[in-house]
Amino acid sequence: MRKNSGALGTVPFVALGLAWLLIPMLTKIPPYALPTPGEVIGRLYSGVVDGSLPKDVLASLRRLLLGFCIGNGLAIPLGIAIALNRRVSDLLRPLLTFLASIGGIAWVPLAVVWLGVGSGAVLFVIANQIFFGSIYNTVTGVETIPRVLRRAVLSNGARGTQMLWELIVPGALAQIIVGLRTSMAYGWRALVAAEMIAGTNGIGFRMMEAVKWYQTDTIVLGMIVIGVLWLVLDALLFSRLERATVVRWGLLRETA
Amino acid sequence: MAALPAEAGAGSVAASKITIRGLSIDYVSEDGRARHRALEDLSLEVRENEFLSVVGPSGCGKSTLIAAIAGFLRPRSGSLLLDGKPIGGPGADRGVVFQEYALLPWRTVLDNVTLGLRLRGMPRSERDRIGRQFLEMINLVEAADKYPHQLSGGMKQRVAVARTLANQPEVMLMDEPFAAVDAQSRMTLQEELVRIWSQSRLTVLFVTHSVEEAVFLGDRVAVLTPGPGRLKAMIDIDIPRRQRRWAELGNNLLFATLRQRVLDLVRGAGTPP
Ligand SMILES: Nc1ncnc2c1ncn2[C@@H]1O[C@H](COP(=O)(O)OP(=O)(O)O)[C@@H](O)[C@H]1O
Ligand SMILES: [Mg+2]
Repeated sequence: MRKNSGALGTVPFVALGLAWLLIPMLTKIPPYALPTPGEVIGRLYSGVVDGSLPKDVLASLRRLLLGFCIGNGLAIPLGIAIALNRRVSDLLRPLLTFLASIGGIAWVPLAVVWLGVGSGAVLFVIANQIFFGSIYNTVTGVETIPRVLRRAVLSNGARGTQMLWELIVPGALAQIIVGLRTSMAYGWRALVAAEMIAGTNGIGFRMMEAVKWYQTDTIVLGMIVIGVLWLVLDALLFSRLERATVVRWGLLRETA
Repeated sequence: MAALPAEAGAGSVAASKITIRGLSIDYVSEDGRARHRALEDLSLEVRENEFLSVVGPSGCGKSTLIAAIAGFLRPRSGSLLLDGKPIGGPGADRGVVFQEYALLPWRTVLDNVTLGLRLRGMPRSERDRIGRQFLEMINLVEAADKYPHQLSGGMKQRVAVARTLANQPEVMLMDEPFAAVDAQSRMTLQEELVRIWSQSRLTVLFVTHSVEEAVFLGDRVAVLTPGPGRLKAMIDIDIPRRQRRWAELGNNLLFATLRQRVLDLVRGAGTPP
């Protein structure tokens, strides 16, 4: 359908790379403030060779995946319950609004006190962030299922949990996928930040460690890895999921 | 055929399938303060195996009537009976065809047609076989694996009719099903519906704002007053089924007379017989 859009999308990246090459030659930025592409590639190479980079990437990804499963595992069922049941909605909405305002990172101090510096605290923070990035999408998704579809399914004899699988989940899926996607994007950012403050390993932790030694090449490499990993995750998971479901059903035109 | 229920009036020719007595329905606003009366004291009988058209101006409560019989709305007062028993919630015994088609976008055409069979737990092979028969009936076998968004409006509505029929309801409730379809397809759909109905002899309640459509399709035509809807008149359409083709009815005098009579009633000029 849109095979060539990938090519156009690389143009800004090339421009950015060129600017990066040229800026040190044209300005007086000190070398320790902006490493050259060569230095960053060198750091990438040594990180891969000594195994430290894959280790950090894996630590971060595993945490992200776990936080993603926990956060969405709670958010999606709860979101459905809120959308379907007035009582549940009345009971929980004020609390959720209150908690949502306390962004993921604001939980770091308490998470550290409760769980200590390390994986537990980081996981808590990102699961929290992912939960709130996702839940309202599910609620909206269920609430905007056309009434006439609900009626059609009921008149065909559906009852109880049949409504859930025949109507609610597929009907809300386009919006649920938006929730999965945004929540993972939020979670990814919160993860790196939380690792910087409360981590003992992972990409964010490694970048913060590098500050002590002015290793800007490690820092820039970390930033690039964060961005590239996200591009890959997004293309691999969500774009595929969309194409297999909501795009195929005509509920969504193919996007990014 | 079911025994004549005790409620049926002495003049009834056939058993009453749906009996509506003194039906009033209000829409109440979210805060419960504003009420809007959509139907008022409506009494109507749909006979077993008949095709009853209900015609009335837009806003007179036709969709409300369908929704009430389907069990989506609760009456404020009056009674709604199916085979003499009060109608509770929605159920597969009353199939509904909606103006908006209401096909599930995430299901293929075949899986839409077999929705009711699937909900009953019928095994895949069996329900697909039945589903294909119904697709044959509406000449859409080749679209079995397509998704609804790949179909035209007329095709979607044929699929919706097939879905309702495949589930073998006792009555089929149709809410302006052809209103959103282009004029050419509409005439074809109307003729197809006559053909299908003649074969199945299902009880049909067909609601429309089009006088022509109501007269073309119905054994009888019920005319509703502008909102809140009440029954204004009931007209018998004594045109044989096999003559119900547009090519034939175009210069049929009886059709023209009946159409004019119903039109006068809808527009307020005619007096109830
Ligand atoms: N959900 C609703 N809330 C409030 N009023 C409604 C609602 N649905 C319909 N109405 C009103 O009830 C009346 C009858 O509506 P409807 O049954 O849809 O008429 P029709 O199908 O004949 O056009 C109209 O005046 C309409 O505005
Ligand atoms: Mg209507």
